[in-house]
Amino acid sequence: MAVKGRGISRLGLLALIPLALAVVAAVHGHRADPIPAWILVLPWSPTLGVDLTLHIDGLALLFILLICGIGSLVFVYAAAYMAGVPDRARLFVLLLLFMLSMLGAVSTDNVIALFVFWELTSLTSFLLVGFKHEDEASRRSAQQALFVTGGGGLVLLAGLILLAEIGGAYSIRALIAGHPVWIDDPRVPVALALIFVGAFSKSAQFPFHFWLPNAMSAPTPVSAYLHSATMVKLGVYLLARLHPAFGELPMWQLTLTAVGGFTAALAMVLTLRERDLKRILAWSTVAALGTLVMLIGVPGDGAPVAAVAFLLAHALYKAPLFFVAGNIDHATGTRRIDDLAGLAPVMPWTAAAALLAGLSMAGMPLSFGFVAKDMMAIAKEGDGGFAWVGYASLFVSAVSVAVAAVAAIRVFWHRGGRRPVGVHDGGWGLIVPPLLIALLGVAFGLAPHLVDPLIRSAAHAMLPTAEIRGLVFDPTDRAVLGALALALAAGGTIYAFWDRLHAQFDRLPWLDQVSTAAIYRALVAAIPKAAAITPRLQSGSLLGYTVWLLLAVVAALAAALAAATVAWPARELPSLAVAGASALLIVAALAACLVRDSFVLLLAAGLVGFGSALLFLFLGAPDLAFTQFAVEVAFVVVIAAILLRVRRLDLVPAGAQRAWPRIAIALALAALATLLLLAAVGGPLDPALAQYFGAQAVPQAHGRNVVNVILVDFRAVDTLGEIAVVAVAFVAALPLLRLAYERARARRAPAAGEEGR
Amino acid sequence: MTPRAVILEVLLRALYPLMLVVSVWILLRGHNAPGGGFIGGMIAVAATAMLAVGSGAAQAQRRMPLGPLRLAAAGVLLSLASGLPAWAVGSAYMTHLWASVPLGFTDLKVSTVMLFDLGVYAAVWGALGGLCAQVVSLDESRRGDEDAGSAAERDA
Repeated sequence: MAVKGRGISRLGLLALIPLALAVVAAVHGHRADPIPAWILVLPWSPTLGVDLTLHIDGLALLFILLICGIGSLVFVYAAAYMAGVPDRARLFVLLLLFMLSMLGAVSTDNVIALFVFWELTSLTSFLLVGFKHEDEASRRSAQQALFVTGGGGLVLLAGLILLAEIGGAYSIRALIAGHPVWIDDPRVPVALALIFVGAFSKSAQFPFHFWLPNAMSAPTPVSAYLHSATMVKLGVYLLARLHPAFGELPMWQLTLTAVGGFTAALAMVLTLRERDLKRILAWSTVAALGTLVMLIGVPGDGAPVAAVAFLLAHALYKAPLFFVAGNIDHATGTRRIDDLAGLAPVMPWTAAAALLAGLSMAGMPLSFGFVAKDMMAIAKEGDGGFAWVGYASLFVSAVSVAVAAVAAIRVFWHRGGRRPVGVHDGGWGLIVPPLLIALLGVAFGLAPHLVDPLIRSAAHAMLPTAEIRGLVFDPTDRAVLGALALALAAGGTIYAFWDRLHAQFDRLPWLDQVSTAAIYRALVAAIPKAAAITPRLQSGSLLGYTVWLLLAVVAALAAALAAATVAWPARELPSLAVAGASALLIVAALAACLVRDSFVLLLAAGLVGFGSALLFLFLGAPDLAFTQFAVEVAFVVVIAAILLRVRRLDLVPAGAQRAWPRIAIALALAALATLLLLAAVGGPLDPALAQYFGAQAVPQAHGRNVVNVILVDFRAVDTLGEIAVVAVAFVAALPLLRLAYERARARRAPAAGEEGR
Repeated sequence: MTPRAVILEVLLRALYPLMLVVSVWILLRGHNAPGGGFIGGMIAVAATAMLAVGSGAAQAQRRMPLGPLRLAAAGVLLSLASGLPAWAVGSAYMTHLWASVPLGFTDLKVSTVMLFDLGVYAAVWGALGGLCAQVVSLDESRRGDEDAGSAAERDA
């Protein structure tokens, strides 16, 4: 799909939306130090306790800046990258929707709203990963991403609800403020485990790590935005957000450091098996997410600062590297690192961006990656019990250096291999975004004080009790420089032996066998087997559906009546009119039971309706009677028209076969309905509502017909909903009926033409 | 082309307008006596259904103001809008407003409730009347099939 040319779509102007938001966020961030929290309450459904309180503190602001800042450049890049793709407008709509969902997720204070936005990001991600929907692999990846992150979201909902019930609040702020009270509740570990599943699935932690590299079938702007800079960090965000409440729990610390550390190490091993530049970057993203999760789990005052700094650093180097991969793909048509070499002379701007981003990724001095690494080293110093975290992250750092070298050096400066012919840099829309972000990564490294207030405020949100020191470090610290030298040496070695290591790992197919991706495939394959139940319930026969429906009603009625007391009502003589209407009802019902012809059956059923309408009329419900009459007329006309047509198609069932089960169901239903009626009549009737409406109809609603007053005034919004349903049902039925009509006409037309009418 | 009930068709020339007048009367009296938008609408639906059987579905749909789909949509919108004036006077949505217009011999009461009920009437008539007419049109196409049926069987 490599579209050559310097065109840039006008859709790129959409970048102005996130840009404006980013500017607002940045201005807010500069208003004071520390950054004040901004709280906005929007009532949504007050009776359910769900509101849309926005709570924008340092942590939220950091994410908002990432979402909008990188987002605006993603829009510019996408406008150039997708130029000439016919349905690119869809991509922009989805990107905007995704951006809004992300903004909602990081700024809401309500756990239910958080869940809703969380799942919205999963849905938009599904649509974006599957953007090339003609491609089978793309669809499969999209489905996988949705199953893992969407399913994880549902588990998260259970965890959040349980947490809110334990803590007695649906507001995150209130939960955190009250955590000393509920933290010892025995249900907390269950809630925590459920929340872990949600966060780990979103942030591609083991054992849910496999979906992220597969999601690379998305267009590159999407990969850069969703799958490196923003969405996958939502799980990290949630953990950071809840850190003030759970940070002291051993379960929190052990799970996060173990899962995060293991994921990071595993992802780095899997990186070595890849040849596709984008998948290499994806695995290193998984490793970075693992590192972040691990850092959140590390106790101590330094860890939050390190986590926040690394989060920012990672976004600032990984997004440009994805852009670089996209540019290479765009220009050469391949992303296989074997086919790429010596691109620097022909793609100088892309090479420069890759080099700058690579510096930060490797943690070289004078880049923000170096600052982040320093903070991580300080964080790990503090605690002896988590020394192994240091070893895991050393390995991760070493492979990171190698990956940075592959992306920034090998494909651009490595000699040998085939020189690509006719390759050149893309237009400014493809060059400016990666260069700009990568330059920021270096600028913040040279002048860390620019982002220091933001980092401190975000870390403060994670650890409100401690004095946050911010980005205080000594660039000449020997321990830090020593660790850097070690990582560089190890990384250099891995880079030098990259091809040989790759060959070694390729010979280990058991890695595929034991992967959770294989388990996922087995689970998906089991779905069609489970679906075998469906055709048994959904036989396609209307009779079958009715039987199931009525059985369910019988069961529900029986359960409801089990506790009710049924007494025979006092005998009183009915009036002549009531007796007559009842007689009509009985005769019509008996006739309906005895006739065979479905048309006569319909008329008998209609008569039952008229009989009950008469009863309503004589028992003091004229409105109901009127309605019943009118509905009955329409019902008979509609069903008659349908029956005439159905008979023509010979779809009326033969009938006589095995009538007894149906008779039994009918009798059971009749008996239960009778009991229900007796129970209802026998019990005391609460007159409060009737009295209220009777007394208030004239003074409040100026009407003497209480029924109508309730419909149009007291409960007018209900009525509005009902007529909307009626209208929507008509709109839904119309195409089906027209289709049937057209088919019948089409069948008739040729024959009618022959006969000349 | 299609065989029609001639007696019904002739009768409907008088009956259809009469039923509509009755339906509107039921709609208007609804606030103080049995009636209202839904019942009035259902009587109009019955009129449309009868017209569809007697004079054809197309004719029945033509004689609904705006046509069924737009009538239903206009009804829902009218009901939706009838709650808006309440905002202008600072009340909650759907707080109905009343006014009296002196006509000399009596006071005419007008209110947003009337608009709401008119919307219900239109929505019910449009949606269910349109549905009835469409279903009856299925039956019309069947009548054509009767001639075509034998031809189709020969082809098969």
